[in-house]
Amino acid sequence: MKYALAAALISSFLAAPAFADTYTADPNHTYPSFEISHLGFSVSRGTFDKTSGKVTLDMAAKSGSIDMTIDTASITTGMAKRDDHLRSEEFFNIAKYPTMTYKSSKLKFNGDKLVGADGELTLLGVTKPVSLDVESFHCGAHPMNKKALCGANASATIKRSDFGMTTYVPAIGDEVKIEIQIEAYKD
Amino acid sequence: MTKLAALLALAFAVPALAAPESFTLDHRHSFPSFRINHLGISMQLGRFDKTTGKFTIDRAEHTGSVELTIDTASIDMGFDKWNEAMRDQDWFNVAQYPTMSFKSTALVFNGDDVAGADGEFTLLGVTRPVSVKLSSFNCIVHPMNKKTVCGGTATTTIKRSDFGMKKALPGIGDEVEITMSVEAFKD
Repeated sequence: MKYALAAALISSFLAAPAFADTYTADPNHTYPSFEISHLGFSVSRGTFDKTSGKVTLDMAAKSGSIDMTIDTASITTGMAKRDDHLRSEEFFNIAKYPTMTYKSSKLKFNGDKLVGADGELTLLGVTKPVSLDVESFHCGAHPMNKKALCGANASATIKRSDFGMTTYVPAIGDEVKIEIQIEAYKD
Repeated sequence: MTKLAALLALAFAVPALAAPESFTLDHRHSFPSFRINHLGISMQLGRFDKTTGKFTIDRAEHTGSVELTIDTASIDMGFDKWNEAMRDQDWFNVAQYPTMSFKSTALVFNGDDVAGADGEFTLLGVTRPVSVKLSSFNCIVHPMNKKTVCGGTATTTIKRSDFGMKKALPGIGDEVEITMSVEAFKD
Protein backbone atom coordinates (compact mmCIF):
# COMPACT_ATOMS: atom_id res chain seq x y z
CA MET A 1 0.00 0.00 0.00
CA LYS A 2 2.76 2.34 1.04
CA TYR A 3 4.67 1.42 -2.08
CA ALA A 4 1.61 1.88 -4.25
CA LEU A 5 1.07 5.36 -2.81
CA ALA A 6 4.71 6.24 -3.30
CA ALA A 7 4.62 4.92 -6.83
CA ALA A 8 1.45 6.91 -7.52
CA LEU A 9 3.03 10.06 -6.11
CA ILE A 10 6.16 9.58 -8.14
CA SER A 11 4.27 8.87 -11.31
CA SER A 12 1.97 11.84 -10.78
CA PHE A 13 5.04 14.01 -10.18
CA LEU A 14 6.61 12.76 -13.39
CA ALA A 15 3.38 13.22 -15.30
CA ALA A 16 2.77 16.71 -13.95
CA PRO A 17 3.17 19.38 -16.61
CA ALA A 18 6.77 20.47 -16.56
CA PHE A 19 7.44 24.11 -15.81
CA ALA A 20 7.30 26.33 -18.90
CA ASP A 21 8.66 29.87 -18.89
CA THR A 22 6.88 32.54 -20.87
CA TYR A 23 8.84 35.17 -22.76
CA THR A 24 7.51 38.36 -24.33
CA ALA A 25 9.14 39.60 -27.53
CA ASP A 26 11.01 42.89 -27.19
CA PRO A 27 9.52 44.91 -30.07
CA ASN A 28 12.68 47.01 -30.25
CA HIS A 29 14.87 44.02 -31.06
CA THR A 30 12.43 41.74 -32.88
CA TYR A 31 12.16 42.26 -36.62
CA PRO A 32 11.18 39.92 -39.43
CA SER A 33 13.00 40.81 -42.64
CA PHE A 34 12.83 39.28 -46.08
CA GLU A 35 14.75 38.89 -49.32
CA ILE A 36 13.13 38.64 -52.72
CA SER A 37 14.50 38.45 -56.24
CA HIS A 38 14.05 41.60 -58.33
CA LEU A 39 13.84 40.81 -62.05
CA GLY A 40 15.95 37.73 -61.46
CA PHE A 41 19.14 39.70 -61.15
CA SER A 42 19.33 41.45 -57.80
CA VAL A 43 17.90 40.92 -54.34
CA SER A 44 15.52 43.37 -52.69
CA ARG A 45 15.16 43.45 -48.93
CA GLY A 46 12.52 44.66 -46.53
CA THR A 47 11.66 44.65 -42.85
CA PHE A 48 8.54 44.81 -40.71
CA ASP A 49 9.04 47.31 -37.91
CA LYS A 50 6.21 46.19 -35.58
CA THR A 51 6.02 42.67 -34.24
CA SER A 52 4.58 41.45 -30.95
CA GLY A 53 4.28 38.02 -29.43
CA LYS A 54 5.04 35.41 -26.83
CA VAL A 55 7.26 32.36 -26.71
CA THR A 56 6.98 29.64 -24.07
CA LEU A 57 9.93 27.39 -23.39
CA ASP A 58 10.10 24.30 -21.25
CA MET A 59 13.75 23.40 -21.36
CA ALA A 60 13.24 20.25 -19.23
CA ALA A 61 10.46 18.84 -21.38
CA LYS A 62 12.02 20.25 -24.57
CA SER A 63 8.73 21.75 -25.62
CA GLY A 64 7.21 25.15 -26.09
CA SER A 65 5.24 27.42 -28.32
CA ILE A 66 5.46 30.56 -30.47
CA ASP A 67 2.69 33.05 -31.10
CA MET A 68 3.80 36.11 -33.09
CA THR A 69 1.77 38.85 -34.74
CA ILE A 70 3.31 41.11 -37.38
CA ASP A 71 1.78 44.45 -38.28
CA THR A 72 1.65 44.31 -42.10
CA ALA A 73 1.47 48.13 -42.42
CA SER A 74 4.87 48.38 -40.72
CA ILE A 75 6.66 47.16 -43.86
CA THR A 76 9.68 49.21 -44.86
CA THR A 77 11.94 48.74 -47.86
CA GLY A 78 13.79 52.04 -47.76
CA MET A 79 11.49 53.94 -50.11
CA ALA A 80 8.10 55.35 -48.99
CA LYS A 81 6.45 55.11 -52.41
CA ARG A 82 7.27 51.41 -52.72
CA ASP A 83 6.14 50.77 -49.13
CA ASP A 84 2.74 52.30 -49.96
CA HIS A 85 2.48 50.05 -53.01
CA LEU A 86 3.32 47.01 -50.89
CA ARG A 87 0.52 47.98 -48.47
CA SER A 88 -2.05 48.05 -51.28
CA GLU A 89 -4.44 45.33 -52.43
CA GLU A 90 -1.82 44.10 -54.91
CA PHE A 91 0.44 42.91 -52.13
CA PHE A 92 -0.24 42.91 -48.36
CA ASN A 93 -3.73 44.41 -48.57
CA ILE A 94 -3.35 45.91 -45.10
CA ALA A 95 -6.86 47.41 -45.06
CA LYS A 96 -8.30 43.91 -45.07
CA TYR A 97 -5.40 42.02 -43.44
CA PRO A 98 -3.70 44.33 -40.91
CA THR A 99 -1.67 41.47 -39.43
CA MET A 100 0.02 38.25 -40.35
CA THR A 101 0.73 35.64 -37.70
CA TYR A 102 3.03 32.74 -36.99
CA LYS A 103 1.97 30.11 -34.48
CA SER A 104 3.73 26.94 -33.43
CA SER A 105 3.24 24.47 -30.64
CA LYS A 106 6.01 22.21 -31.88
CA LEU A 107 9.47 23.47 -31.09
CA LYS A 108 12.49 21.40 -32.04
CA PHE A 109 15.52 21.02 -29.78
CA ASN A 110 19.00 19.68 -30.18
CA GLY A 111 20.18 19.11 -26.60
CA ASP A 112 19.49 22.39 -24.80
CA LYS A 113 19.41 24.43 -27.99
CA LEU A 114 16.25 25.47 -29.74
CA VAL A 115 16.92 24.64 -33.40
CA GLY A 116 13.57 25.03 -35.10
CA ALA A 117 9.81 25.10 -35.06
CA ASP A 118 7.01 23.59 -37.11
CA GLY A 119 4.09 25.96 -37.27
CA GLU A 120 1.63 27.86 -39.37
CA LEU A 121 1.92 31.21 -41.08
CA THR A 122 -1.25 33.14 -41.80
CA LEU A 123 -0.87 35.78 -44.52
CA LEU A 124 -3.72 37.41 -46.47
CA GLY A 125 -6.07 35.17 -44.49
CA VAL A 126 -4.44 32.00 -45.84
CA THR A 127 -2.88 29.59 -43.34
CA LYS A 128 -0.10 27.24 -44.44
CA PRO A 129 2.48 25.15 -42.59
CA VAL A 130 5.87 26.85 -42.36
CA SER A 131 8.95 25.46 -40.62
CA LEU A 132 11.51 27.77 -39.06
CA ASP A 133 15.21 26.99 -38.73
CA VAL A 134 16.77 28.59 -35.68
CA GLU A 135 20.41 29.34 -36.43
CA SER A 136 21.43 30.72 -33.10
CA PHE A 137 19.72 30.57 -29.74
CA HIS A 138 21.13 32.18 -26.64
CA CYS A 139 19.77 33.09 -23.23
CA GLY A 140 21.39 35.29 -20.61
CA ALA A 141 20.89 38.22 -18.30
CA HIS A 142 20.71 41.62 -19.97
CA PRO A 143 23.89 43.44 -18.85
CA MET A 144 22.01 46.62 -17.99
CA ASN A 145 18.54 45.77 -16.73
CA LYS A 146 19.60 42.28 -15.47
CA LYS A 147 16.41 40.67 -16.73
CA ALA A 148 16.47 37.14 -18.18
CA LEU A 149 16.54 37.37 -21.95
CA CYS A 150 16.60 34.90 -24.81
CA GLY A 151 17.41 35.68 -28.42
CA ALA A 152 17.64 33.93 -31.74
CA ASN A 153 17.83 34.37 -35.47
CA ALA A 154 15.42 32.20 -37.37
CA SER A 155 14.87 31.68 -41.08
CA ALA A 156 12.38 30.15 -43.46
CA THR A 157 11.59 30.21 -47.17
CA ILE A 158 8.04 30.53 -48.43
CA LYS A 159 6.33 30.98 -51.76
CA ARG A 160 4.14 34.07 -51.67
CA SER A 161 1.82 32.62 -54.33
CA ASP A 162 0.89 29.89 -51.79
CA PHE A 163 -0.81 32.68 -49.84
CA GLY A 164 -2.44 34.24 -52.90
CA MET A 165 0.10 37.07 -53.32
CA THR A 166 0.75 36.73 -57.03
CA THR A 167 1.32 40.30 -58.28
CA TYR A 168 4.37 40.51 -60.59
CA VAL A 169 5.34 36.85 -60.20
CA PRO A 170 7.91 35.96 -61.54
CA ALA A 171 9.52 39.40 -62.26
CA ILE A 172 9.37 39.97 -58.51
CA GLY A 173 10.27 36.52 -57.21
CA ASP A 174 7.74 34.05 -55.88
CA GLU A 175 10.20 32.68 -53.37
CA VAL A 176 10.68 34.84 -50.28
CA LYS A 177 13.55 34.18 -47.90
CA ILE A 178 12.61 35.26 -44.39
CA GLU A 179 14.98 36.03 -41.55
CA ILE A 180 13.70 36.90 -38.09
CA GLN A 181 15.78 38.41 -35.35
CA ILE A 182 14.09 37.98 -31.98
CA GLU A 183 14.85 38.94 -28.41
CA ALA A 184 12.35 38.13 -25.67
CA TYR A 185 12.30 38.86 -21.94
CA LYS A 186 11.12 36.29 -19.41
CA ASP A 187 7.78 37.39 -17.90
CA MET B 1 57.08 62.39 -91.20
CA THR B 2 58.66 59.66 -89.14
CA LYS B 3 57.40 61.58 -86.16
CA LEU B 4 53.84 61.32 -87.50
CA ALA B 5 54.27 57.58 -88.16
CA ALA B 6 55.51 57.13 -84.63
CA LEU B 7 52.53 59.04 -83.26
CA LEU B 8 50.12 56.96 -85.35
CA ALA B 9 51.80 53.77 -84.24
CA LEU B 10 51.47 54.92 -80.64
CA ALA B 11 47.82 55.83 -81.18
CA PHE B 12 47.03 52.43 -82.66
CA ALA B 13 48.96 50.71 -79.93
CA VAL B 14 46.26 51.82 -77.52
CA PRO B 15 43.87 48.88 -77.34
CA ALA B 16 40.88 49.67 -79.53
CA LEU B 17 38.53 47.75 -77.22
CA ALA B 18 39.28 49.88 -74.21
CA ALA B 19 35.83 51.37 -73.84
CA PRO B 20 34.85 51.79 -70.24
CA GLU B 21 31.11 51.85 -69.67
CA SER B 22 29.79 53.97 -66.86
CA PHE B 23 26.80 53.23 -64.65
CA THR B 24 24.78 55.21 -62.12
CA LEU B 25 23.39 53.52 -59.03
CA ASP B 26 19.61 53.10 -58.89
CA HIS B 27 18.98 54.35 -55.35
CA ARG B 28 15.58 52.60 -55.27
CA HIS B 29 17.22 49.19 -55.52
CA SER B 30 20.59 49.75 -53.86
CA PHE B 31 20.66 49.51 -50.08
CA PRO B 32 23.54 48.72 -47.77
CA SER B 33 22.40 46.64 -44.81
CA PHE B 34 24.36 45.22 -41.91
CA ARG B 35 24.24 42.58 -39.19
CA ILE B 36 25.79 43.07 -35.80
CA ASN B 37 25.89 40.93 -32.68
CA HIS B 38 23.72 42.26 -29.84
CA LEU B 39 24.83 41.13 -26.34
CA GLY B 40 25.68 37.66 -27.67
CA ILE B 41 21.90 37.11 -27.76
CA SER B 42 20.92 37.89 -31.35
CA MET B 43 22.16 39.38 -34.60
CA GLN B 44 20.43 42.70 -35.28
CA LEU B 45 19.96 44.12 -38.77
CA GLY B 46 20.11 47.71 -39.93
CA ARG B 47 19.86 49.48 -43.26
CA PHE B 48 20.87 52.79 -44.82
CA ASP B 49 18.10 54.19 -46.99
CA LYS B 50 20.09 56.72 -49.08
CA THR B 51 23.06 55.74 -51.19
CA THR B 52 24.37 57.32 -54.38
CA GLY B 53 27.16 56.15 -56.61
CA LYS B 54 28.79 55.47 -59.92
CA PHE B 55 30.85 52.69 -61.33
CA THR B 56 32.78 52.10 -64.53
CA ILE B 57 33.65 48.79 -66.12
CA ASP B 58 35.98 48.05 -68.98
CA ARG B 59 35.17 44.45 -69.79
CA ALA B 60 37.98 44.10 -72.35
CA GLU B 61 40.66 45.43 -70.05
CA HIS B 62 39.17 43.92 -66.89
CA THR B 63 39.40 47.24 -65.14
CA GLY B 64 36.97 49.64 -63.59
CA SER B 65 36.09 51.75 -60.62
CA VAL B 66 33.44 52.20 -57.95
CA GLU B 67 32.43 55.23 -55.94
CA LEU B 68 29.64 54.96 -53.36
CA THR B 69 28.43 57.60 -50.92
CA ILE B 70 26.12 56.57 -48.10
CA ASP B 71 24.06 59.12 -46.18
CA THR B 72 24.81 58.22 -42.54
CA ALA B 73 21.64 59.94 -41.25
CA SER B 74 19.53 57.57 -43.37
CA ILE B 75 20.20 54.70 -40.94
CA ASP B 76 17.09 52.64 -40.20
CA MET B 77 17.13 50.18 -37.29
CA GLY B 78 13.35 49.82 -37.03
CA PHE B 79 12.41 52.44 -34.46
CA ASP B 80 13.01 56.17 -34.19
CA LYS B 81 14.66 56.32 -30.79
CA TRP B 82 17.27 53.79 -31.84
CA ASN B 83 17.88 55.61 -35.14
CA GLU B 84 18.44 58.85 -33.24
CA ALA B 85 20.89 57.15 -30.88
CA MET B 86 22.84 55.78 -33.86
CA ARG B 87 23.09 59.28 -35.37
CA ASP B 88 24.64 60.86 -32.29
CA GLN B 89 28.33 61.41 -31.70
CA ASP B 90 28.90 58.08 -29.92
CA TRP B 91 28.05 56.22 -33.12
CA PHE B 92 27.83 57.66 -36.64
CA ASN B 93 28.22 61.30 -35.55
CA VAL B 94 26.18 62.45 -38.52
CA ALA B 95 26.57 66.14 -37.65
CA GLN B 96 30.30 65.91 -38.23
CA TYR B 97 30.32 63.01 -40.74
CA PRO B 98 27.17 63.16 -42.87
CA THR B 99 28.47 60.54 -45.28
CA MET B 100 30.59 57.43 -45.43
CA SER B 101 32.10 56.28 -48.71
CA PHE B 102 33.62 53.37 -50.56
CA LYS B 103 36.02 54.04 -53.44
CA SER B 104 37.86 51.56 -55.57
CA THR B 105 39.89 51.68 -58.76
CA ALA B 106 40.74 47.99 -58.55
CA LEU B 107 37.85 45.80 -59.60
CA VAL B 108 38.43 42.08 -59.23
CA PHE B 109 37.38 39.91 -62.19
CA ASN B 110 36.59 36.24 -62.38
CA GLY B 111 36.84 35.59 -66.11
CA ASP B 112 34.73 38.33 -67.67
CA ASP B 113 32.58 38.77 -64.57
CA VAL B 114 33.11 41.38 -61.91
CA ALA B 115 33.63 39.45 -58.68
CA GLY B 116 34.67 42.17 -56.28
CA ALA B 117 36.56 45.34 -55.59
CA ASP B 118 39.60 46.25 -53.52
CA GLY B 119 39.17 49.76 -52.26
CA GLU B 120 38.99 52.15 -49.37
CA PHE B 121 36.16 52.67 -46.95
CA THR B 122 35.85 55.99 -45.13
CA LEU B 123 33.78 56.10 -41.94
CA LEU B 124 33.98 58.78 -39.24
CA GLY B 125 36.73 60.41 -41.30
CA VAL B 126 38.95 57.32 -41.03
CA THR B 127 39.98 55.64 -44.31
CA ARG B 128 40.96 51.97 -44.36
CA PRO B 129 41.43 49.37 -47.10
CA VAL B 130 38.36 47.18 -47.52
CA SER B 131 37.79 44.37 -50.01
CA VAL B 132 34.27 43.76 -51.19
CA LYS B 133 33.03 40.50 -52.73
CA LEU B 134 30.42 40.84 -55.46
CA SER B 135 28.19 37.83 -56.10
CA SER B 136 25.68 37.11 -58.84
CA PHE B 137 26.69 40.18 -60.83
CA ASN B 138 24.83 40.28 -64.13
CA CYS B 139 23.42 42.75 -66.62
CA ILE B 140 20.09 42.71 -68.41
CA VAL B 141 17.94 44.98 -70.53
CA HIS B 142 15.30 46.26 -68.11
CA PRO B 143 11.94 44.75 -69.19
CA MET B 144 10.09 48.04 -68.77
CA ASN B 145 12.36 50.97 -69.63
CA LYS B 146 14.64 48.95 -71.97
CA LYS B 147 17.80 50.42 -70.46
CA THR B 148 20.82 48.28 -69.65
CA VAL B 149 20.89 47.62 -65.93
CA CYS B 150 23.41 45.63 -63.90
CA GLY B 151 22.83 44.12 -60.50
CA GLY B 152 24.43 42.02 -57.83
CA THR B 153 25.06 41.61 -54.15
CA ALA B 154 28.15 43.05 -52.48
CA THR B 155 29.37 41.72 -49.16
CA THR B 156 32.18 42.46 -46.76
CA THR B 157 33.00 42.39 -43.07
CA ILE B 158 34.64 45.23 -41.18
CA LYS B 159 35.58 45.96 -37.58
CA ARG B 160 33.96 49.16 -36.45
CA SER B 161 36.75 49.80 -33.93
CA ASP B 162 39.16 50.16 -36.89
CA PHE B 163 37.24 53.34 -37.72
CA GLY B 164 37.14 54.61 -34.15
CA MET B 165 33.55 53.53 -33.42
CA LYS B 166 34.12 51.93 -30.04
CA LYS B 167 30.89 52.61 -28.17
CA ALA B 168 29.47 49.64 -26.20
CA LEU B 169 32.21 47.18 -27.21
CA PRO B 170 32.03 44.22 -26.88
CA GLY B 171 28.35 43.99 -25.84
CA ILE B 172 27.51 45.33 -29.25
CA GLY B 173 29.78 43.38 -31.59
CA ASP B 174 32.92 44.84 -33.16
CA GLU B 175 32.51 42.84 -36.33
CA VAL B 176 29.92 44.18 -38.77
CA GLU B 177 28.70 42.02 -41.66
CA ILE B 178 27.71 44.27 -44.57
CA THR B 179 25.46 43.21 -47.46
CA MET B 180 24.49 45.59 -50.22
CA SER B 181 22.02 45.02 -53.02
CA VAL B 182 23.18 46.90 -56.10
CA GLU B 183 21.38 47.91 -59.26
CA ALA B 184 22.84 50.45 -61.66
CA PHE B 185 21.71 51.78 -65.02
CA LYS B 186 24.16 52.32 -67.86
CA ASP B 187 24.66 56.05 -68.46
